[in-house]
Amino acid sequence: MNPYVLMILISSLGIGTTLTFMSSHWLLAWMGLEINTLAIIPLMAQQHHPRAVEATTKYFLTQATAAAMILFASTTNAWMTGEWNIQQLSHSPSTTLVTFALALKIGLAPMHFWMPEVMQGLDLTTGLIMATWQKLAPFAIIYQISSTTNPTLLTTLGILSTLVGGWGGLNQTQLRKILAYSSIAHMGWMIIILQFMPKLTLLNLMIYIIMTSAMFMMFKYNNATKINYLTLTWSKSPVLATLTMPMLLSLGGLPPLTGFMPKWLILQELTKQNLAITASIMALATLLSLFFYLRLCYAMTLTLSPNTTNTSSTWRIKSPQMTMPLATISTLTIMLLPITPTIFSLIM
Amino acid sequence: MTPVHFSFSAAFILGLMGLAFHRTHLLSALLCLEGMMLSLFIALSMWSLQLESMSYATTPVLLLAFSACEASAGLALLVAATRTHGTSHLQNLNLLQC
Amino acid sequence: MVYLVFLFLLGLVLGLIAVASNPAPFFGAFGLVVAAAFGCGILVVYGGSFLSLILFLIYLGGMMVVFAYSAALAAEPYPETWGAWSVLVYVIVSVIGVLGAGYWFVGEWDKFMWVAEEFMELGVLRGDFSGVALVYDLGGGMLIVCGWVLLLTLFVVLELIRGMGRGCLRAI
Repeated sequence: MNPYVLMILISSLGIGTTLTFMSSHWLLAWMGLEINTLAIIPLMAQQHHPRAVEATTKYFLTQATAAAMILFASTTNAWMTGEWNIQQLSHSPSTTLVTFALALKIGLAPMHFWMPEVMQGLDLTTGLIMATWQKLAPFAIIYQISSTTNPTLLTTLGILSTLVGGWGGLNQTQLRKILAYSSIAHMGWMIIILQFMPKLTLLNLMIYIIMTSAMFMMFKYNNATKINYLTLTWSKSPVLATLTMPMLLSLGGLPPLTGFMPKWLILQELTKQNLAITASIMALATLLSLFFYLRLCYAMTLTLSPNTTNTSSTWRIKSPQMTMPLATISTLTIMLLPITPTIFSLIM
Repeated sequence: MTPVHFSFSAAFILGLMGLAFHRTHLLSALLCLEGMMLSLFIALSMWSLQLESMSYATTPVLLLAFSACEASAGLALLVAATRTHGTSHLQNLNLLQC
Repeated sequence: MVYLVFLFLLGLVLGLIAVASNPAPFFGAFGLVVAAAFGCGILVVYGGSFLSLILFLIYLGGMMVVFAYSAALAAEPYPETWGAWSVLVYVIVSVIGVLGAGYWFVGEWDKFMWVAEEFMELGVLRGDFSGVALVYDLGGGMLIVCGWVLLLTLFVVLELIRGMGRGCLRAI
């Protein structure tokens, strides 16, 4: 792609998210979401192969529908209450409709079906943008309407997407689909806490973005798109192969690692709200996700040298990718837990 | 809920249902999206007209510009999908399922 | 006047039913034209003659030409109309659904509600006309955003349909 065109697209991607962030009016927020969608479309389809075009078409249809639903709900709210402000969404059917539309945009459970298919059609860099940056603008709106949404609906969406994210990923061998289901499960954790402590949603989103970018950059460094490619990581870069196991366990939320922090705080907050059953269900549903993370760990680190592999070795070409971002973000993925009090006091 | 409100809501929901249920052609899905945008245009215009709110009369025009952008991006995707898949039927977009 | 408004609103909903019932794209585009024309009628009755003009020009003048061109791309030898059974089922279900929803809400409408929404007669100085002109004054930022998104769409479309050099009908 031409660098000038790429510059326009990338800056529009930033402008769209920024517009949604800064607006208190539904129309401008909607415009930001539309610019965001339009700007990522050519990035997704830049290879022009059938899978990329198909993924782009599916993404475009879902995102355009979700954006139109958001605008319809806010217009209905304006007809009923005369109010265009995002934070004053008081008409109850509009609130439900907006929640559903935003759930469609970020891929929460009953509306998640586009997510794995779209991720599968992209290359890993665009997949990284899709899994991280594209979630920011919808979450800016979700955060602002968190006080007016229906609590039962949020709890249902949260539990359902954690379960579906875990179950859906169990049978996958494609890494991008596994990451898509992992994203769905993490979105469930963010939504379940939204009504009690929206700040924790933001914390979880931040940690999720750090962990997911680390995984995508690692896959990009290895050129890995299937599980059996991962078994050759040790021959390409032994240090990265060692680091990836804690990264995966951090994504699954095991204690001495970063991924434990949001789960810990969310479970604590849920228990404080006398929702022990919800907290238990969420914790148990995460075990499903942990299973496929552990399978990736197994393929990567426990099938080391003396064993024979089923894959043919790839060329050991030196990757042109910069290693500094990967090193930084994998360190963040592994070692942020000890500074939990600092982070917690920063966002509160 | 006034009759006008009911009519554009019904129009929008019909468009949404048409998009959500089974479509044969990608172009039909895009037409449904345009229908939704049309009902939103009428909704925004009627809102500003009935409240006599002059400054809000620009919002339908802005909406129309954005929906035109969306339609053109959709049509470009239609062309791209026709080139790669050989047809514009939505049921041929099945490479990524599993 | 009340009957005229009723006719226009009915036409809008019927036009959307015609689009949503999954006919061939030719007829779907026709349904959208009908819906847009009736929508223009509603706006005129309620006094938005300038907005109505914009809708008429953009939809029927610009967008429909493009859609007709693309419908020719997606053409099929035996297009389905609303008479075909698969389409007719959708039409019947939609009509029943709209009537049911209307029956649900009709209790809230009293017969003066049509009149209470006052209709405007055609005047020289219209609110929407000067309101749209505000986009050049107070709404300058929005104008810039719209201009930017139009430029962005130009590049999006060019990037998406690029690749003629690799063969017109590629099957990789």
